[in-house]
Amino acid sequence: MASNISPSALDKEQIFGMAEKEMEYRVELFNKMTQTCFKKCVDNRYKESELNMGENSCIDRCVSKYWHVTNLIGQLLGSGRPPM
Amino acid sequence: MDKSMLADLDSLPEADKQRMTVMIDQLQIRDSLRMYNSLVERCFSDCVDTFKHKSLQKQEETCVRRCAEKFLKHSMRVGMRFAELNQGAATQD
Repeated sequence: MASNISPSALDKEQIFGMAEKEMEYRVELFNKMTQTCFKKCVDNRYKESELNMGENSCIDRCVSKYWHVTNLIGQLLGSGRPPM
Repeated sequence: MDKSMLADLDSLPEADKQRMTVMIDQLQIRDSLRMYNSLVERCFSDCVDTFKHKSLQKQEETCVRRCAEKFLKHSMRVGMRFAELNQGAATQD
């Protein structure tokens, strides 16, 4: 089976596979960040449908810190990127 | 989904562009369904506590609507900040 695939076609398969994994990872990272920051920053009594000033500030800081933690853990795991 | 990912597609040959587009579309569909499910779970658990009635009460419905609206606004804001971080923009504390 492998002999039917030319080297460049195999490279292309690997590139597409990596691209897909990269996109899935980024989407997953965004989702986890969103869920985590919503839980930490938004009052769950929902007195109004707008985000208030405190919630907005908290969200911005939460996203930044989450980003830094992601990078820090990545470095500590020695891969420069969290394992997928 | 990041629009900046789509910009890179223009330099690809047609067949590869097609394949990439399909991949992104599938990812988008999966992501939307996942968000829908998690939003239902979040808002239900935050807004519904009693079961004296089988129909949603007015207070519960109001809570669910606010919960969903807040989450969508939150998600948009996180998206903006996430994009900034990806571009390496400096952020102040």
